[in-house]
Order: sequence, then C-alpha cells, then structure tokens
Amino acid sequence: MQQCEADCHPDLQADCSVCALSSTAAKYRHSNNMSNSIAQAHKTVDQLRFEAQIERIRVSKAAADLQAYCEQHARDDPLLVGVPASENPFKEKKSCIVL
Amino acid sequence: MAAVAAEDTELDLDALRKEAETLRSRLEEERRKSNDVQLRDVASKLELVPPLQMKVRRVLKGHQGKVLDMDWSTDKRRLVSSSQDGKVIVWDAFANKQERVLSMPTTWIMSCAFSPSGDIIACGGLDNKCTVFPIDKDLENPERKRRTIAMHTSFMSCCRFVKSGYQILTSSGDCTCALWDVDSSQLMQSFHGHISDVLCLDISPVHCRTFLSGSSDKTASLWDIRTGRCVHSFDGHDGDINGVRFFPTGESFVTASDDGTCRLYDLRADREVALYTKDCMIFAATCVDISKSGRLMFAGYNDYTVNVWDVLKCVRVGRIYAHDNKVTCLQRSPDGTAVCSGSWDTTLKLWA
Repeated sequence: MQQCEADCHPDLQADCSVCALSSTAAKYRHSNNMSNSIAQAHKTVDQLRFEAQIERIRVSKAAADLQAYCEQHARDDPLLVGVPASENPFKEKKSCIVL
Repeated sequence: MAAVAAEDTELDLDALRKEAETLRSRLEEERRKSNDVQLRDVASKLELVPPLQMKVRRVLKGHQGKVLDMDWSTDKRRLVSSSQDGKVIVWDAFANKQERVLSMPTTWIMSCAFSPSGDIIACGGLDNKCTVFPIDKDLENPERKRRTIAMHTSFMSCCRFVKSGYQILTSSGDCTCALWDVDSSQLMQSFHGHISDVLCLDISPVHCRTFLSGSSDKTASLWDIRTGRCVHSFDGHDGDINGVRFFPTGESFVTASDDGTCRLYDLRADREVALYTKDCMIFAATCVDISKSGRLMFAGYNDYTVNVWDVLKCVRVGRIYAHDNKVTCLQRSPDGTAVCSGSWDTTLKLWA
C-alpha cells in the first residue's frame, strides 16, 4: 500500500480514513479504465495530434526572453535587491541610539 | 458474433496504440530539435545574485495541527492558513495577530484561498468539498453563513479564486479539476486528462484564460479555462508534482516534485528548460514560488528546509533551515516583499 498522506502507521491503515479514500479512488479509476479503453485510446491520440501541431520556439529564444525579463525587473524585486527597513513592512524599524 | 466484435476492438485498440506511439516519438523528436542550448549556459555570463539577506520576521503560532496550505490576500497584509486540526485562520501578518478563526466540521483542510476582494475565504480537503465563508469585518458568526460550492468524488487538494473572484478553480484526488461559480455553486467547466490525483494548480498571472495543474501521474498540464481542453502536457518528473507556479510572464512555469527536484518548463518551447537539484537532495520538494523579477525561486522540502535557487544560473543560492518539520506550503507576498512558509510543525513563518 502506498505511503499514507496522513502518515499513519501501517498497522492502523485499516482505520485510517485517508488510506480508505485513496484506495476507493484507485478502484474507481481502475474500473473506469477497463470499460473505456477504446474511448481513452481515442482521447490520447486526439490529444497527441493536437500537441504535435503546436509551433515551438527554440530554447535559446526562450532562455533569452527569460533572462531579459529578469534583468528588466531586477530593480523592483525586494527579495533580490533588498529594500531599506523603513520601506519593508516586515523588517523591524530601528530607532537611532545616541551614544 | 461477439468473438468477432471483440477481435475488431482489439485491432482498433492496437492501431490506436501504434498511432499514439508514432505521435509520441514525433513529439519527442520535435522537442529535442528545439533544445539547442542549456539555460544555465546562456546565463553563465550573468552576474551572481547579491548575497541573500533573508531572515525570519514573523512566526505565526496558533494552529494545533499540521499547516497544510496558505494564501495571501491582495491587500499584501493578511493571509489565510488551513490545518489538519480543522481550523482556518485569517492572520494580520504585519501585526502577527489572528483576525478570525474558522472551525470546519472535518479535519485535514488541505487547501484554503482568499478571494481577491478579501471578504470571502474558501477551504476544503478530505471532505471532498470546497466551502466558502464570508469574512466581512462586521460579521459576527461567519460559520453560520458558510456554503458548499464544490463537490468532488475524492479529496480536494487545492482551491484558488480566479481574478474576478466570481469563480473558484479546484483540483482533486478524483483526477479532475473543476471551475465553479461562487454565487450559484454551479459547475461551469471540468477538466479531464490526468490519470491520477491532481495535487496543485496555479492560474496564469497574465490573463484568466489558462491555468496549470500538477499531478501524481508525474505530469503538469496547461488548460484552457473556457473550453476545458488540455493545451499542453509536460512530463519529465520522476515523482508526484506537489507544487506548480507560473513565471511572471505567464510563458514558463516551475514545478516541485516528490523526486526531490524542481524544474522550469517553457510553454512556447514546449519542454523542460532547467533542472534544479543537487546530488545530496533526496527529500521531496512540496511547494514552490518565484520572486517578483523571476530571478529567485523558493522551494519547500520534506527535510524541513526552504532552498533558494537562481532560476537562470540553475544553482542554489541559499538554504533556510525554516521549520521543525516538513514544509508544506510557501507563497510570496503580492508585492514581493516577503515569503510565507507553512509546516507540519504547526507554524507559519514570514521571511524578508
């Protein structure tokens, strides 16, 4: 039996509602697959045909565009460049100490 | 007659399978051709990101069970979190105060969401439903006004409001996603295609027409909200995809998976373009988000840490020992100033 999402002990799986739910879902899917194999195969082929006719760009172009976006917006990214404590509501405001 | 019919079916099935194989090889070939360079090589000339100076700024304590999900409000100040303990808490993150504590009749609330207007909360999980609560300031007893919006046949793993706030998208262990009208609770569209539990979703930041889903069938899919059609499907991961997030342009996205890796996929190149991993990383990545400029990626893991990655150079630039148990959810604030993480250790923490 696969790892329970509730992390229950293997001995307690019979009582665990999360385990019961996933095994019911698995049985539901299995019986559906058996009776719909032709319909499923048609759907798969249709989907693959649809995906095959998509126009693709090269990774070099995609990479260049990603890089351009990052560079263009770097200055406005508080987590990247940091903002002074006075402007960041989550940073503590330090008061001046007279020594 | 029955025997002949069965044989015909067998032949049809065989022909379809062969066509599927041919199409798959063709797709692989096309995708290989477009892979002319590695992203990290293109980015090798870039300067390194400045050293990270993130520290924990708030610790939100209040849940008595594992924190499973959180969502920021558009006001950049409030957030909502949900837990195994059956409670949904609305926090004022600046002031570190609990504004509202909503009790659900079931435990394991796997997802929660803030409406764009800030006056409705949606949540659900093992109850297979999505429930909404109004939370306007003057409302005394929000629990009395709760309504069930969505019904699935298995657990609801994620719920998110679309930009207008009039509809909610849900993903479920019943292998589907669905779009629901908030006012009428009507099912507007359902999205079929995954062959196993759908674990996460993210709506395009650029327009409301598409969204992504990640599944335990190890694929991520892009869907057309209006038609219900799966526009793209991406494989590559060796484990369940637990988290998915669009890049700010809406043309790429990152995923976090049980296989311990995060990956960047590009929609126009129709393939994976980067892999974020180290040899020593064997723990599942459970959640992921990207900084405002897209340069930094934050991912939460089952080894209790949050790792920060340089998206372009594909290297890790930070490791935060964030929590005392698995990190389950993570989201950058709407204005990009902070990242909130939630964990099985029952707390949420804000990093800035």
